[in-house]
Amino acid sequence: MRLKTWLLKEPKHEDIVSCVGWTTADELYSCSEDHQILKWNLLTSETSLVVKLPEDIYPIDLHWFPKTVGGKKQTQAEVFVLTSSDGKFHLISKVGRIEKSVEAHSGAVLAARWNCDGTALITAGEDGQIKIWSKSGMLRSTLISQGSPVYSVAWGPDSDRILYTSGRQLIIKPLQPSAKVMQWKAHDGIILKVDWNSVNDLILSGGEDCKYKVWDSFGRLLYSSSPHDYPVTSVSWSPDGEVFAVGSFNTLRLCDKTGWSYALEKPNTGSVFTIAWSADGTQLAGACGNGHVIFAHVVEQRWEWKNFVITLTKRRTMQVRNVTNDAVDILEFRDRVIKASLAFGHLVVATSLQCYVYNTKNWNTPLIFELKEGTVSLIQQAEKHFLLVDGAGLYLFSYEGQLISSPKFPGMRADVLNSQGVSLSNDTIAVRDKRDEKVILLFDALTGKVLSDGKPLTHKMEVVDIALDQCGPSTERKIALVDKNHDLYITSVRHLGREAKICKIGSMVHSVAWNDAANILCGIQDNQFTVWCYPSVVFTDKELLPKTLYIKDGSEFSRSPHILSFVGTIATLRQGDGSLVYSSIPPYAGVLHEYSSSTRWEEALRLCRFAKDQSLWACLAAMSMTHRELTTAEMAYAAIGELPRVQYIKIIKEQPSKESSLAHMLLFSGQVQEAEATLLQAGLIYRAIQVNINLFNWERALDLAVKHKTHVDTVLAYREKFLKKFGRKETNQRFLQYAEGVEVDWTKIQAKLEMEMSKEREKAANASVRSSVSVRR
Amino acid sequence: MAMAKDPLSEAGFYFDELNKLRVLEPEVSQKTSELKEECKDFVDKISQFQKIVGGLIELVDELAKEAETEKMKAIGARNLLKSVAKQREAQQQQLQALISEKKMQLERYRIEYEALSKVESEQNEFIDQFILQK
Repeated sequence: MRLKTWLLKEPKHEDIVSCVGWTTADELYSCSEDHQILKWNLLTSETSLVVKLPEDIYPIDLHWFPKTVGGKKQTQAEVFVLTSSDGKFHLISKVGRIEKSVEAHSGAVLAARWNCDGTALITAGEDGQIKIWSKSGMLRSTLISQGSPVYSVAWGPDSDRILYTSGRQLIIKPLQPSAKVMQWKAHDGIILKVDWNSVNDLILSGGEDCKYKVWDSFGRLLYSSSPHDYPVTSVSWSPDGEVFAVGSFNTLRLCDKTGWSYALEKPNTGSVFTIAWSADGTQLAGACGNGHVIFAHVVEQRWEWKNFVITLTKRRTMQVRNVTNDAVDILEFRDRVIKASLAFGHLVVATSLQCYVYNTKNWNTPLIFELKEGTVSLIQQAEKHFLLVDGAGLYLFSYEGQLISSPKFPGMRADVLNSQGVSLSNDTIAVRDKRDEKVILLFDALTGKVLSDGKPLTHKMEVVDIALDQCGPSTERKIALVDKNHDLYITSVRHLGREAKICKIGSMVHSVAWNDAANILCGIQDNQFTVWCYPSVVFTDKELLPKTLYIKDGSEFSRSPHILSFVGTIATLRQGDGSLVYSSIPPYAGVLHEYSSSTRWEEALRLCRFAKDQSLWACLAAMSMTHRELTTAEMAYAAIGELPRVQYIKIIKEQPSKESSLAHMLLFSGQVQEAEATLLQAGLIYRAIQVNINLFNWERALDLAVKHKTHVDTVLAYREKFLKKFGRKETNQRFLQYAEGVEVDWTKIQAKLEMEMSKEREKAANASVRSSVSVRR
Repeated sequence: MAMAKDPLSEAGFYFDELNKLRVLEPEVSQKTSELKEECKDFVDKISQFQKIVGGLIELVDELAKEAETEKMKAIGARNLLKSVAKQREAQQQQLQALISEKKMQLERYRIEYEALSKVESEQNEFIDQFILQK
């Protein structure tokens, strides 16, 4: 990725350009100390004078009123705020009329920013004060008074906090008066510019120590650049928060959100005082010290999938390279490319007006449909369809271009969704709720309606990353989530009745991705590359989980790698320094998943015998247990030396009736309540009691016995035996009470048990006869 | 006649060779005309001299002017030279920054290449193993 810059031969302004701001993706306003406001039309490459300001106004900062107000989208911004060195700010209309001038600070007003919905304006002055104003320019409050000038100020993602500079310190101040203020030393020189992105919640700062730094919203340093030759005069996030730009003397830099630099340009601009990104994030403009306005657009983004490499060579042109035969295709678009995504055999390209869908088998005839809304901010793909996210909502399209659904939920702010907050699979869409990050909203992909019972998935902790698995039937859809403590959990998305269990399967996990062809999960766990070959194992046999992992030493990766994709057997990771690395895993696990989903157990066994891999056997054991394929499970457990489990499977197999073996299988995976319910439903009261006795669940056993008026003596007998063994006396009131009226006679009990067994056997035999008869009918 | 005093000459009349009557003694007259000739010569020479000197002065002036411009040029060139050195330094700095950027990119590519080579060797190993076991 790099910047393609564009400068006029001669500057249009006669003096320093102090600020710039975009109205649409093709129109920019620039203000200079020569008192002129110029309008730059990029479609016609024309520059026209909007207005010449009075001689005493020296502009310093400019910010357009935000476009989206209360969910309604205006076509373009109508008014902007301009601050000047005489301590005033001015509200100026699009045609250049000064609507209002407000005396705001003593000394220059150094910065002014609207909040995200335009209900408040914040100004920062040379006098060290920060003031909040209403939309119409009425003073609401003076938020801060400090001894040194405030050079830059930024709103937090939800407009409930502000970030400002104080010499070498950065300060985050919540608007709530009682909330805690956060302050830290950020640079070794005066900080000149800050920016805070609402999508990724990260903070940028640049200062006179010639460095730029990236922080999270807790003030933790994520990246610090090496010193430049000149002070960093401007920093600016692109709207989607994926990249940012840095300006300095004769310098323009494009960096990844993790801090490393994609590209450096050395244009002849003087210092770049302000950088502004257009709303679609494809281009930026810089206000230059020598009177120039520099334009730059981002090109040479790359997308890779299997054997295809796609590069955006120009704004409207892509080059597709098939690396297996070196065939090259050129794709031309009518408009500027804004976003693109390549996965599952399809390339989806969103331009400013249209969406193009290519099949990787045929690059000549794309499917094209018009987009209602201009700026697509996110594209997510699944095997059968893809999701477009723009400022107004989420839209699910099939690869044939049909709109399938458009999920909506209260408090939706689609413009701040990123790939960590949205996940798509063939049947489900998961969205992290921005208002409460513990909550994950689940939608049926085909209807766009909230899933099943309408209750969202709620975790006990804020969730930072979500990912839906991509394969298998929709009833078994699982979602992996990483929470704020970096613990990895997995849970089932579709469940009937009872709340789904959220099971923890990893800790210190920083990044996860599901495989595209099998439900295998990979992640970075405490600097190790870990593959969960069969994450669903936690629902059948929790203790088997560690044995199903495939772990690769992380020493080959440098600091903080991030998984980009997990396609086939190759995982692609981006390291902290920006380099791409690849990691391959053995193909066996994927093949095993295939066998298990098509219930080809013989082949699965053969594969495991061939590969001689413990983790593979463990996976097979869990898979066959999930599918209640006892013979295979028995062999697999034997292969990994889990003898108690082999024994238990034998017991399950010897159960006289179907119901009781089912109950034992549920017991096997620790689902006691379900097991008991199954038994009770089948009328096997004694078996249910027995289950509770075996688990020393005495109270429940007694309850059942009393309720169904049977085997009270059995429960008491077992209880007595148990107490005797441990040399203790009965203290439980209820047991004492029942013991009074019941005679315990072991021979009688044994006889009763025998009877129960034979009854069950008989019943099972009848049932099988009946079912076979009914099948024959 | 010769002896006698020429009454004409006494009266101040003379005859010249051409026996024309003259009021001035022929000798004087001759001297006068000679003087006149000489004077004329002198004036001619003086004016010639003036012309030559004038030319010389012009030439010297021109030379002075030229010298002046050359001097300015030299000063300019010297200044330019000084600033060029500075410019070069700035350019060098810029190029250096670009080079270090490219170096970083190269390093990233090197790491990527290494990772890919590793994947390749792993896959080859897997294939070999697969074939062997079969």
